[in-house]
Amino acid sequence: MSKNVYIAGVGVISAIGNNVAENLASLKNNSPGMGDMQRLESNHKGKLPVAEVKLSNESLCQQLGLPLHTSRTALLSTIAAKEAIENSGVTIKKYRTGFISANSVGGMDKTENFFIEFLNDNNAGDLHEVVNHECGAVTEITADHLGISDFVTTISTACSSSANSIFLGARLIRQGMLDVVVAGGTDALTKFTLNGFNTLMILDSQFCQPMDENRRGLNLGEGAGYVVLVSEKLAGSLDVKPTVQLTGWANANHAHHQTASSPDGTGNLLAMKGALKKAELNPSDIDYINLHGTGTNNNDIAEGTAIKNLFAGNYPLMSSTKSFTGHTLGASGGIEAVYSVLAIQEGLIFSNLRFETQMKELPFKPVTKLQQKEIKNVMSNSFGFGGNCSSLVFSKNA
Amino acid sequence: MSGSELKITAHAIIRNGKILRNSETIFESSDTGSDFLREAYEEGLKIDYPKFYKMDALGKSGIIATEVLLQDFDFGKYKPEEAGIVLSNKNSSIEADVNYFETARSFPSPALFVYTLPNIVIGEISIRYKFKGENAFFVSDQFDADWLHFYVSDLIHHQKIKACICGWVESVDENFDTCLFLVEKEQKENAVNFTAENLKEIYGLKV
Repeated sequence: MSKNVYIAGVGVISAIGNNVAENLASLKNNSPGMGDMQRLESNHKGKLPVAEVKLSNESLCQQLGLPLHTSRTALLSTIAAKEAIENSGVTIKKYRTGFISANSVGGMDKTENFFIEFLNDNNAGDLHEVVNHECGAVTEITADHLGISDFVTTISTACSSSANSIFLGARLIRQGMLDVVVAGGTDALTKFTLNGFNTLMILDSQFCQPMDENRRGLNLGEGAGYVVLVSEKLAGSLDVKPTVQLTGWANANHAHHQTASSPDGTGNLLAMKGALKKAELNPSDIDYINLHGTGTNNNDIAEGTAIKNLFAGNYPLMSSTKSFTGHTLGASGGIEAVYSVLAIQEGLIFSNLRFETQMKELPFKPVTKLQQKEIKNVMSNSFGFGGNCSSLVFSKNA
Repeated sequence: MSGSELKITAHAIIRNGKILRNSETIFESSDTGSDFLREAYEEGLKIDYPKFYKMDALGKSGIIATEVLLQDFDFGKYKPEEAGIVLSNKNSSIEADVNYFETARSFPSPALFVYTLPNIVIGEISIRYKFKGENAFFVSDQFDADWLHFYVSDLIHHQKIKACICGWVESVDENFDTCLFLVEKEQKENAVNFTAENLKEIYGLKV
């Protein structure tokens, strides 16, 4: 059994575009997706910028032929997963196919509609709006729409959810249990997440500045991103042979605090080290790190310190594309996996927007201008609440 | 597979102003609620772990019960990832939820917000006692000995867990009902078989 797992296709929707081509164009044009709230209804409207997907629920439903009461989390998921499958050219019906999708809010957007009426009158409220509350229900809607039933599961480990979905998919392929896995994640903006992050006092009232000495916090975003993982055998049979592989992954937890990372980045370091080991690569082989880089005080110092310790003087180019998309929580690992694959395919290092001042604790700074360069290996970091840390390594075919 | 070779090697109960270790009262106070927990922590058990004061009542009672449960525990015997935690209760983190919601009317408290999940008590135990293997928190109407027995047996027989803290940890209106068990493969003096019947009997002890 070959241990190689190939990326046959990618699909993405985010605040910077409704498909891969639009996302790539925005990344090249240094065009971020944050702004004043347009779709989300919140008391914080006008005060806290967010990175919203520009399409309404109505137009997403129309595009997909799904009913209007469908959770936005499922709609975003279905759009991006569909694009990934089409992009792969794989006829999924012919193979043992899995759908592994991450999210952290489930159908909370619809539950919030229900809750307003229900709170006033316990006999009021449309129950259709709560049936898809649970995270797994969102995955099922998309899996049904895609016609995937061999293996369907949901991972919810906060902000590392999607990265964990992707490497679970790779493991199932390596073990010969599936031939194709559509893996990634989705999350829609909701009042619940906005208020929760606001309580933790880690939202930036301006556009976020990841990895900057004077960073103030994160901007929340929404979207979905998926990769289509295939076995070596299947990859060889495709008309267009995939050029990128998922070669490394690791998940670690540093059990430090409910939400914060340990300041020295213990878990982050374990995840990055583990992913390199799995990929059988040295730190110096990494050409680009797509950072978790949320823009919070705590994440960026923990992640930066771990990079300082692991790469010790030989720092790869790095940037946080959350400076474009905001932090899309459960979707971020999926969206950034797509960007990592694009970085290799296009030979591009994306810019870390709005960076001004190097962090005083760190001997390096992120890339501030789009760069063209041959990229062989990309590391993509996703670090979640509860200390759940994951790193993935994507590599160009040798 | 039956769980008959597994043993309950210790148990701890916090209920009605008393703390019991292996059925013997080791601390008693007429104080109630948070005062009771603070007195048990400072005077009864003489624990020194300042983070205790930050915790919600569920976390505090979980830490105190675990401290009692692990009094003779050989911490070198298992790797952190071989030690699991499976807890349950009826009311989730409702007390922390309500306290947080009260502050949200004026200024939402980050310190309270981070306790608004029931499994945070598992995290607190995991951090302090280095039980870092599989864990889960279940919400059920009442103490479900059959389920706990099934789940913990499966962790030990099939999931690389060699020692597991399991049981019930409940806090509503500052009333505590906590009953934790330590389950291991080892035979120990006074250990009883890990069976649903024994879980029920110990949980049902009149305190």
